[in-house]
Amino acid sequence: MASTGGGSVLWVAMTCLALAGGCRDRGEAGGGTDSDTDGTASGDGPTDGDSDSDGVELCPESRAPRQLRLLTRREYDATVHDLFGLVDPESCSEDAQCPAGASCTSGACMVQAVLPTSFEIPGQAGWTTVHLAGGFNNWPGTIADGGWPLSYDAGSGTWSGTFDIPAGQHQYKLVIDDSQWIADPTNPQTADDGFGGSNSVLDVQTVSEEVPPHPLRFTDDLPLESRPGGYAFDNNAGAGLVTSVHADQLMRAAEAVASVALAEPAWMPCAPEGDGSACAEQLAREVGRRIFRRPLSDDEVSKVADLVRGEPSFDEGVSVALQSMLASPYFLYRFEVGEADGDRFRLTSYEMAAALSYGLWGTTPDDALLDAAAAGELDTVDGLEIQVRRLLDDPRARELVGTFAVQWLGVEPILTVDKNTGQFPGFDSAVREAALEETKRLVAHVTFDGSGRYEELLTADYAFIDAGLAALYGLPAPAQPFDQVALPPERAGLLGQISMLGTEAYSDQTSPVRRGLFVRRALLCQELPPPPPNAGNVPEVDPTATTRERFEQHMDDPVCRGCHTYIDPVGFGFEHFDPVGAWREQDAGQPVDASAQLNGLEELGDGQVVPFGSVPELGAILAGTQAAPDCFARHYFRFTHGRLETEADDCALQTLTEHFAEAEHDIVSLVIATLTAPEFRYRQ
Amino acid sequence: MRLPAISRRRFVSTVAGAGLALPFFELLQPGRARAANGVAERFIVFYFPNGVVGPSQDGQPSQWHCTGGGTNFTLGPMLEPLGALADECLFFNGLSMGPTDTGNHPGGARKLLTGADYGNSESIDQLLARTAGNDAPYRHLYLGAMASQNNPSSDAFISYVSPGNSIAPQDDPVAAFDLLFGDFMPGGGQPTGPDPKQVTVIDAVLDDMNRLRAQLGDVDKAKLDLHLESLREVEDRIKSVGELPTCDSPGLDTTGLPGAGNQYDPTAFPAVLRAQIDLMVLAMSCGLSRVGVLQNSHHTSDLLMSQFPGTPMYDPGYDIRSHQASHYGPSHAPGNVLYDAYVQQNQYWVSQFTYLLQRLVDTPDPLGGGSMLDTSVLLLCTEVCDGNTHMHDNMPFVLAGRGGGAINPGRLLDFGGDRHAGLLAAIAHAMGEQVGGFGDTNSGPLPGVLG
Repeated sequence: MASTGGGSVLWVAMTCLALAGGCRDRGEAGGGTDSDTDGTASGDGPTDGDSDSDGVELCPESRAPRQLRLLTRREYDATVHDLFGLVDPESCSEDAQCPAGASCTSGACMVQAVLPTSFEIPGQAGWTTVHLAGGFNNWPGTIADGGWPLSYDAGSGTWSGTFDIPAGQHQYKLVIDDSQWIADPTNPQTADDGFGGSNSVLDVQTVSEEVPPHPLRFTDDLPLESRPGGYAFDNNAGAGLVTSVHADQLMRAAEAVASVALAEPAWMPCAPEGDGSACAEQLAREVGRRIFRRPLSDDEVSKVADLVRGEPSFDEGVSVALQSMLASPYFLYRFEVGEADGDRFRLTSYEMAAALSYGLWGTTPDDALLDAAAAGELDTVDGLEIQVRRLLDDPRARELVGTFAVQWLGVEPILTVDKNTGQFPGFDSAVREAALEETKRLVAHVTFDGSGRYEELLTADYAFIDAGLAALYGLPAPAQPFDQVALPPERAGLLGQISMLGTEAYSDQTSPVRRGLFVRRALLCQELPPPPPNAGNVPEVDPTATTRERFEQHMDDPVCRGCHTYIDPVGFGFEHFDPVGAWREQDAGQPVDASAQLNGLEELGDGQVVPFGSVPELGAILAGTQAAPDCFARHYFRFTHGRLETEADDCALQTLTEHFAEAEHDIVSLVIATLTAPEFRYRQ
Repeated sequence: MRLPAISRRRFVSTVAGAGLALPFFELLQPGRARAANGVAERFIVFYFPNGVVGPSQDGQPSQWHCTGGGTNFTLGPMLEPLGALADECLFFNGLSMGPTDTGNHPGGARKLLTGADYGNSESIDQLLARTAGNDAPYRHLYLGAMASQNNPSSDAFISYVSPGNSIAPQDDPVAAFDLLFGDFMPGGGQPTGPDPKQVTVIDAVLDDMNRLRAQLGDVDKAKLDLHLESLREVEDRIKSVGELPTCDSPGLDTTGLPGAGNQYDPTAFPAVLRAQIDLMVLAMSCGLSRVGVLQNSHHTSDLLMSQFPGTPMYDPGYDIRSHQASHYGPSHAPGNVLYDAYVQQNQYWVSQFTYLLQRLVDTPDPLGGGSMLDTSVLLLCTEVCDGNTHMHDNMPFVLAGRGGGAINPGRLLDFGGDRHAGLLAAIAHAMGEQVGGFGDTNSGPLPGVLG
């Protein structure tokens, strides 16, 4: 039912009023993954032949399809970048080519950075501690209160330390033994401290640093990936179709990639000698294996080598051969086809290699992974886990976790959502990109550097922001863009981020409905039906009424209340955040009322009523549910499998969510369990 | 980023040679036969989002639909921008999409060109691209104006390549022009035959494709079939260089188009739409395609139409979005800010459709037989009737053009609740494809539309 949306037909006949007990997660409509704990179907079906070579039980009704998965645009670009080590020959020509926070200046991506500031103070006899106290750290009197300690070097007799201090002018003092305040004797620049003494004065300058531009993109003119209703990601296998526009653009992209690759041929395994035949074959075998993510058959090698030899010059031949491989279905699709194993099909070692690399890096396998596939190391769960952990230890895994997160949350539109330029003149493309980057960094940090637990995504009392975001958050600019900073008490985790708050709002007003739906759909996987015909009026802008007052009409109207009781009272909790996510005390000239509640928590209509008064409180409430981490696991399952789950996946999903819970919602554990699950490796 | 400077496939330039002669006449013979048989040369869909000022919740009559019947009727006020071109249009009352699947906007958008719930059918434009349009170099042109803004769900897109699978249009007129016309150099030399390298590459790719299909049996067969069909279309283009038609002085007016990085700036919308209309007409006048879809934004869109400069809607200080205005309230109430905006928005879309019609009137059909409008059939559509009530009965479709004689416009037809799938079937017949029934009601061509 969930796979076709057929169950939704029922909604048409229902009024919102009647939905109070009927609003359920689509994915659970077929039997429930968490309500039915004893009847997991793994005990019901045939028991023979359902364990894999590791003896792991496979959910008998699992029906993961054999499928081809077209590379997405991001996967294509990352892949050709990694295959050929492409760098942009022209560096940058516009800011959009540079990473968040950087701008394109004179053909290079430059970021304004602040260098760390070092202190080296000649010591005096009897000092036991020295710390810095100043405007940059709120003048702490003691190290325990947050003073920045200097460390003593007996050899030189100096106290020294290096700190990230934001750009600008700062006053500070040295504090000896948590009690004696003195000016920095090494700094001649001082100012009156207002108590008859002197503060030292420090000017921290910004410097320009060059950072690499984004990798070249070849896919901008390919159509946007289709995301069937309810599927949040760009990698839906069923929707990954090559229409004639795709075929045309993919041919062009192949031509462009070959051209750029041949200009920087460091990836070539050999130089032609004689008639070039030997090199042509070596190239076909070695480069072919990397492009097709598997060894080429002898016939394929001959075919590619013949293409190389068939042109007037070796380079032209290589170009034609590369183009033919890059436009080949063997390159453009990743295969999840498998080979017969009993009455099922088991993904081959090379298919698993691609599943791991695209699942964890968003790009093609490296040589080590292909070698592991060749050695049969990916045929066991243990071997897979070794490779998964190796891949997770690479910066590309951080990047991909961030990509997963912004698609799961649906916050990529922060880049393109309209905002009223008169009301929010500073909300420019740099801030938008930084907002997306902030979300990616938080999720990567929690996964790899923090507790690793899902809950921290919702409760983190810190963030990674640049100066532009800091201004929106009312915080001082961090020393370096995307440094970790402490959040003010009104924000925590993903729910307090600009990317969500700005995406789920209109151009000139907030939307409690959108923000409420975000919580229900993205975080709790609780789907609500669309409004019925004659749903009537969305409240219009009335300058004398607050947004809350206008939207409370939903709650007064009995037709609307049935569904909106689940939505608006949640969204009201975000009313302190304006359409671009900045804090506000007032709306329409009146104090903001952000009192809110969740009507229904684990399920819509479960009768729980949970009030909350702030975003951090909401984060903590959601972090304590079973529904939220289960929903996260469900999204990760979809992302990995490239499809929406069906009833046949109930058992596999339940196994995953139980594993996730046992692992205390450790995200890496979920990743490993999903990718190594027999229900992923075995196909029908 | 644009693809780095590489040699574009040059075959596209051949169609662009200013005033060059010839092979033209022979190539378009099939079209000549079509026109001579009273069959439409081409089909263009013009879609806009969020419905029209239809019958209000309080029961006031539609401001879109016409009154009267036959040739004796009065235009609805929303249609007035058509002016004299109303004589080139066929209007309808009582055309229903029937109950749609869940979701009034998404359900309507899925059903609009497929005639099927959940978009569970190939859409009529794709069917015609693959049949009547398959002798053109580009079988289907899908151009958007900010349709992909904010990564909408796939139900935002109205063209379905197969049941349940919509695709997204090209929102960038410059990229679309580039695809169709390449880096044409005025006065430059034109290739006289296919590029042998491209032939080698496409042959090698087709070889892989056929090998793969044999290897996989039925796994993802439909996906590979579509891929193969797409490659064959590219193959045809590559291998017919030198035989393709030529046409005069293509060029795209890029005035006002947004730059990279702000491609969804709402103030640029009118320029984008104008460029896409111009490009559609240009491509079709050059014989590059017979089937096209112009999609404006998408259903439930937040398009900031109050930011469109040079229109009556323009008010930079006050944001009014398309979907927001469509919920103008229970009654047609002039003076109500949203209602007034919605009226202006309706009339804006009709005026842009009128511009498209006028461009076709002003362009002689390359085969003779009158203007391009005389030989075309066009469909104006949106996914719901009244934007406030979301109903799917009395859908505000308009047909335009004479379809090479297949259609006799300037009439108002009343269908009393018949399914719109029958209108889509009639369009197919106008294009010479005897589809019989279409959509999940298997509706045959509605009586009176043809002839």
